Amino acid sequence: MSPTLALQTGEGAAQRVKHAEPDAGGIVPLWREVPSQPRPAQDYYRLALLKEPVWIWSVPAYFYVGGVAGGGAVLAAALHGKTRLRRLAAWCRLLAFLGTTVGPALLTYDLGKMSRFLNMLRVLRPSSPMSLGSWSLAGTGMLATLSLLQGDRSGAVTRYGTALGGLMVAGYTGVLLGNTANPLWRERRLLLPLLFTSSAAASTAGVLQLMPLDKREEKVVQRFGMVGKAGEAACMVAMQRSEGTVPEVAAAARGGKGGVLWTAAKAALVTGILVELLPVRSPVKRKVSGALTTIGANCLRFALLESGKSAAREPQATFNLQRTRMKG
Amino acid sequence: MTTPATGFFTDTSVCIGCKACEVACKQWNQLPADGDFFSGRSYDNTIHLEATTWRHVAFIERQARLSGQATSRPFSWLLMSDVCKHCERAGCLEACPTGAIVRTEFDTVYVQPDVCNGCGYCVVCCPFGVINRREDDGRAWKCTLCYDRQKAGMEPACAKACPTDSITFGKLDDLKEMARARLQELHRRGVTEAWLYGMSERDQPGTEGLHAFFLLLDRPEAYNLPPDPSVPTKGVGGSWGVMALAAAGMAAAAVVAAHSRGGERK
Repeated sequence: MSPTLALQTGEGAAQRVKHAEPDAGGIVPLWREVPSQPRPAQDYYRLALLKEPVWIWSVPAYFYVGGVAGGGAVLAAALHGKTRLRRLAAWCRLLAFLGTTVGPALLTYDLGKMSRFLNMLRVLRPSSPMSLGSWSLAGTGMLATLSLLQGDRSGAVTRYGTALGGLMVAGYTGVLLGNTANPLWRERRLLLPLLFTSSAAASTAGVLQLMPLDKREEKVVQRFGMVGKAGEAACMVAMQRSEGTVPEVAAAARGGKGGVLWTAAKAALVTGILVELLPVRSPVKRKVSGALTTIGANCLRFALLESGKSAAREPQATFNLQRTRMKG
Repeated sequence: MTTPATGFFTDTSVCIGCKACEVACKQWNQLPADGDFFSGRSYDNTIHLEATTWRHVAFIERQARLSGQATSRPFSWLLMSDVCKHCERAGCLEACPTGAIVRTEFDTVYVQPDVCNGCGYCVVCCPFGVINRREDDGRAWKCTLCYDRQKAGMEPACAKACPTDSITFGKLDDLKEMARARLQELHRRGVTEAWLYGMSERDQPGTEGLHAFFLLLDRPEAYNLPPDPSVPTKGVGGSWGVMALAAAGMAAAAVVAAHSRGGERK
């Protein structure tokens, strides 16, 4: 409407007219049969019940970067005061700093209104994992910057504060995904925090393995990483098992882009563990293992987002999950 | 606040599918068009509630008779005007990190457009798939239960436009009484499949009751409504507990790794 003809003051007046053609991939899923033909009224023309997550690539990328930062912050605190591991501690502090500064930038990039990114700290809403996460990310970012500047001389408050914040940043994303209406994520609400935390440890070690390390440093990184990778593998196995209850949820998890990414994540993780277990010691082996871990951790996070989108598109996943819960 | 809670009671048994509510909503709120296309799904070309579609009329063609209906072949129409449910415990509100989504003095759920930064968390947290983020605008939008009209003492545009009073607006307590009376009347007439969806906490413990509830004539799945929706943040404590355990494990792993041979103290 032209502003010369009428004054627009309504709630939605600032919005523009959408593209006239429907988005074939998003709004109207393709149907395999004529909808008006007789069929049991199990659903509403197979149309999606839930809305797909609107998040773009930068959100799973943040999940990874935040994980690396969290693991780095924790390891930096544990390494404090060990003279021979000073260089490694410095690397860790740098990772914590980079992750907590690049991370918010990635999150801001996904916002619909980037200029309003500070609104994230407008209120503290304890019921919202995203609110708690935003506050801890902001706090950890400040403390990590302080730790980086102070280096070895950082005080106990900064050190342990960064570590605590790092633990929160590494794990809250799992709580955030698990407590949504999405049937796939919701089913895994108790596994996702475990997965994200253990994968964060593995990711941090993966990045550190790509850097020049001496023998002692390598050992520390390897141990930290192996615990993380073992936890990650265990969580992934448990997730695949838990999908069995509702076939539509399992189909959403295994099919499409998400399924391919999930398989890639599994393959990279398993190969990474196998390479790590080889009885040789060389920088090449370490770097290959680190690269595999990094690839796997990224695939895993993109897989979770993509399969979440598939699950939201399938109304039967939600229906059957809720019907099963009602019976049980 | 002493303002009584208001809401919608949508009686689908008298809906004629005229879509006057959709049009009235678009006009009052000055929402843009969704584009012209033929969906092939009965007369429903709106498909679903969207950021720019705050009322949506569902058309269900069933190969089954309604009780007391006489047709040569088993067939019946089910029509329903869907809307944001303004849940007693709203998933979007509890998830919103900016405080953009608030509960108004009328106990409705309202997104403040001047605060919302489009993080998209409410989109995945609505168990009914109502709220969505506009790609061009970048903010999340949904039915406001005509907050502006209510403030001026008027009823929402959709209820005002509804020619059959399928959409009734009023005080929540009055609506519940009216719904119970209507249900009894329908049951008395032999339409035994009629039931109330989400009227009270007992009907729908997951959301503790809806402020926009429905009289339905089939299973909720037929209308694309979830049979047992639940506020996602209700079970958040368990997840935080698991995260605390995982965090303890990660801290322990770091300490053990740092103390491995070669890392002796100064």
